[in-house]
Amino acid sequence: MKILYSWLRDFVDVPDGPAELGRRMSLRGLALEGLEPAPPGDAPPGVAAVADDAVLDFDVTANRPDCLSVVGIAREVAAVYGLPLRLPGVDATGHLRSARLSAVASDGFTVRIDAPDLCPRYVGAAAEVRVGPSPGWVQRRLAALGVRPITNVVDITNYVLLELGQPMHAFDHARLADQAIVVRRAAAGERITTLDGKSRALTADMLVIADAARATGVGGVMGGADSEVREATTRIVFESAWFKPQSVRATARQLGLRTEASTRFERGADPTAQARAMARACALLEIIGAGTAAGTLVDAEPRPHQPRTLPLTHAHVEGLLGMPVPTLEVERLLEWLGFAVRPAAPLAWQVTVPGWRPDVARPEDLIEEVGRHHGFEHLPATFPPVFQAPAASDARIPRDARVRRAMLAAGFSEAITFAFIEETAAAPFAAGAPALRLANPLSETFAVMRPSLLPGLVTAVGHNRRHEQRDVQLFEIATAFAAAGERRMLAAAWTGAAAGDHWSGHRRDVDFFDLSGVVETVCTMFGVTPSFAPVETAWLVAGRAARIAADGDAIGTVGLLAPAVADAHGLPRGDVVFVAELDLDRLTALAPRAAARVEVLPRFPSAVRDVSLLVPDSLSAVTVRDTMRAAAPPTLVSVREFDRYQGQGTPPGTVSVSLRCTFRAADRTLTDEEVATAMQRMVAAATGTLGAQQR
Amino acid sequence: MATLEELTRLVSEHEAAFALALAEVDAAPATARAAAIEALTVGWTGRKSGRLTDLMGHLPSLPAADRRAFGQLVNALKSRVEQALTERALAAAATKRPAGAVDVTLPGRAPALGHRHPLSLVREEVQAIFTRLGYQVLEGPEIEDDWHNFEALNMPDEHPARDMQDTLYLAEPLPPSLQPPTAATTTRPGRRPAAPQPLTLLRTHTSAMQIRHMEQHDPPVRLVAIGPVYRRDNLDLTHTPMFHQCEGLVVGHGITLAHLKGTLLAMAEALFGAGTPVRFRPSFFPYTEPSAEVDVGCIRCGGVGCPVCKHTGWLEILGSGMVHPAVFEAVGYDPATVTGFAFGMGIERVAMLKWDVGDIRLFYENDLRFLGQFSK
Repeated sequence: MKILYSWLRDFVDVPDGPAELGRRMSLRGLALEGLEPAPPGDAPPGVAAVADDAVLDFDVTANRPDCLSVVGIAREVAAVYGLPLRLPGVDATGHLRSARLSAVASDGFTVRIDAPDLCPRYVGAAAEVRVGPSPGWVQRRLAALGVRPITNVVDITNYVLLELGQPMHAFDHARLADQAIVVRRAAAGERITTLDGKSRALTADMLVIADAARATGVGGVMGGADSEVREATTRIVFESAWFKPQSVRATARQLGLRTEASTRFERGADPTAQARAMARACALLEIIGAGTAAGTLVDAEPRPHQPRTLPLTHAHVEGLLGMPVPTLEVERLLEWLGFAVRPAAPLAWQVTVPGWRPDVARPEDLIEEVGRHHGFEHLPATFPPVFQAPAASDARIPRDARVRRAMLAAGFSEAITFAFIEETAAAPFAAGAPALRLANPLSETFAVMRPSLLPGLVTAVGHNRRHEQRDVQLFEIATAFAAAGERRMLAAAWTGAAAGDHWSGHRRDVDFFDLSGVVETVCTMFGVTPSFAPVETAWLVAGRAARIAADGDAIGTVGLLAPAVADAHGLPRGDVVFVAELDLDRLTALAPRAAARVEVLPRFPSAVRDVSLLVPDSLSAVTVRDTMRAAAPPTLVSVREFDRYQGQGTPPGTVSVSLRCTFRAADRTLTDEEVATAMQRMVAAATGTLGAQQR
Repeated sequence: MATLEELTRLVSEHEAAFALALAEVDAAPATARAAAIEALTVGWTGRKSGRLTDLMGHLPSLPAADRRAFGQLVNALKSRVEQALTERALAAAATKRPAGAVDVTLPGRAPALGHRHPLSLVREEVQAIFTRLGYQVLEGPEIEDDWHNFEALNMPDEHPARDMQDTLYLAEPLPPSLQPPTAATTTRPGRRPAAPQPLTLLRTHTSAMQIRHMEQHDPPVRLVAIGPVYRRDNLDLTHTPMFHQCEGLVVGHGITLAHLKGTLLAMAEALFGAGTPVRFRPSFFPYTEPSAEVDVGCIRCGGVGCPVCKHTGWLEILGSGMVHPAVFEAVGYDPATVTGFAFGMGIERVAMLKWDVGDIRLFYENDLRFLGQFSK
């Protein structure tokens, strides 16, 4: 809310300049968001111009509709400085004078409220007017607060809205059929052309202000074009009413129409302010020479406002704030803000809430008023007592931290990408079921929840490749989404060098085994031994893609990114990108539960034997390994490939594989014969069942 | 004022002195020669106090017309000195190199460590601060129902405060069974809906976790919840539709606003350094009463006022307050016997202030030139 410093001074004699005022108000709940010099121009007649006039922009929180007005802010300022507040008096002289209500004679129009649930109060008054431009000082004040001056009559309604926070409207009296004002719900199919020139369809739950024939305004939102005040208008009817916040809010939202008026009604205008505002508007008519109120003010109030009274105890105040506030201070602060404070018992009060504070509904709300005006700066900085030992944190947090450390050590940098992606990007990863769509996405780029972290991560790789990065290693730990729920995933992408350039040797590009090795390392951290099997997926190149499993459960994939997918994510053509994804939640579930116990170190030496076999290259390594392991005695500790060769010396269709077998017994040193027999059996199994040849 | 003649003599004297020193070095035993050459190099060509540097210092005392001639004289001497020293240094190095020596100045094979994401660094720092203060750290579901994200937090449908956070909704709701059970299994009274609700939205704040936790646990409570949140905000310098939040909640007997202030000031100092100006200022949130915001002194201008802080000298880092009694009623806590405080802070915001990041979108580009600057 923008406030003109000199306008504020109409109501309170602020001793500080605009900057210092803004700083002090910020500490009391009205945060200063901007401070600019005021536009030059006239001061109201009889008021001295302020030298360094300024526009203060306060951030008014959603609970304070009263502060969407100069007087509302002035009341806060008066409380902060302990100064009296001068409201625009109904009897005062000068530019702040309001009309003497009793002097308003004969009316010439009627008001009927058919929907008192949505409009419990409607004040109307007729006036003879001479439509023309407002004087400079009115135009300047409106413009400073961001409202465009139009004509003197319309400017008065806006002036009162800005000054008192009560939205007003002016109808052309001649254009009201039967000079009647009827407040009712819209009829089904009814239409109205609003002041902005747009024709709008109304629904039966919207409140309209109508004459005898048709709707002439949308209640609390915007007036109708038909009854708009024009230059030729000579007689008007001012409206000053109270509309139900929920109704105005729903109507404004349905019509897609937000106005200065609807903003104030939505948050809750002061239900006691309507007659005051009308008096002010009539006075302004005379002050600026725009006309004279004619006839009696009509105040239709079928459901009078019942002020709220709340109990408050001194113990509650100090107990919630955690600082001492003397009882006299509690009373003084509340009264300054317009609350009526009545002692109810020793150290307890009954507090009546003024109409302009719809936000104050509980004792805690009163305590906030006391705390904020006594000053949060007086709060001691203390710490909450510990009542019990803290419970353990979510187990995913330390787990993810461990995985993160492993990935960083393996040379991957950490990425964070958006959880929503393009529908086409998600499609290859969505495993049959469509990805979760958003009802109101910001754009097609953010249309569905990612079924995998890979699309986002690959996009990040593409960004880096287009920005001078030849070697990219990225990982992300985040949530993937599916109709079956949320899963915590680890994704990794690797392109470029496997081993960085070094003067001692040649650069080697990343291959499948670099990334499958990283997967193996991560699984091993969980005590899980992964197995890899060929797989066909939409995003990986067949033949260089594996499904990762443990104990028969699929836990992820690893492989070469399909060129079509790489292309779709903006990677340069021909880029070789390996990607992997692991389901960390499933990995956690597969991790051994038993508490780890240290194994006794072996007391006897192990025996190591190497063997080279020529095997058909269609056989997978795991088959050879498993066949040999099946034929081995329990003393076999491990069998693992240490060399693999294909080329000169290997007949076509075969590959030379060298395996290192380690044997050990817990209770004795193994003899050469024992080990030789075991090796013979294992080699025999390979040659017999797999057609391998020993080299 | 010196004359060119005087200074030319001075240059000659220097040349003679250097020849003498060089002869001494040549006469030194082989083992001491390298050190002697090093000492001579520093003494003559050192940038701060080398004799040649001092010699050149006489330049301003000459008439402008003679300066060029003097400069040439000194530079010629300098190159003769450097040549002599380099020749002797190379010779000395060749004689003392042991067998099998490697050139230790070649680059080593440094294992390439990955870089941390700054948001992850801030997150870990916040976790560490609150773990130290005895809080448990929680995560929670990112797809939420209306009850946990809004209703239970004193934001019923049609509440103006819902405008404060523009929400992203799922096209088709998911069954409530996908999230941890809450309402159906809680025996405490409370304002909660009769049956668990379908999951319809992306959580707009981590505050939803307050409700989930309180529904399942009796007081006292002492937790922080961290994770991504979502709002329908267009991408610009300070907004992204996904960002990260850290939520804190403490509930127990006699918890006060002063406890909140102490806790938040301690956190701000831990994050931004001791002595950082911090202020605690009234504000409004539907789920707290009283409510407060915390500002830190503008990092960019030091509090003088600049465009970053909108000339106020302060930057807001978080919202907080005393838990609203309506929130306690929603989860079946008795507001007459317990009070509590809560706060919510944007991780991106902290990272932007901490490292002077001007554009929030940098966090989501994952540019290695950006990430490469974070290696803790």
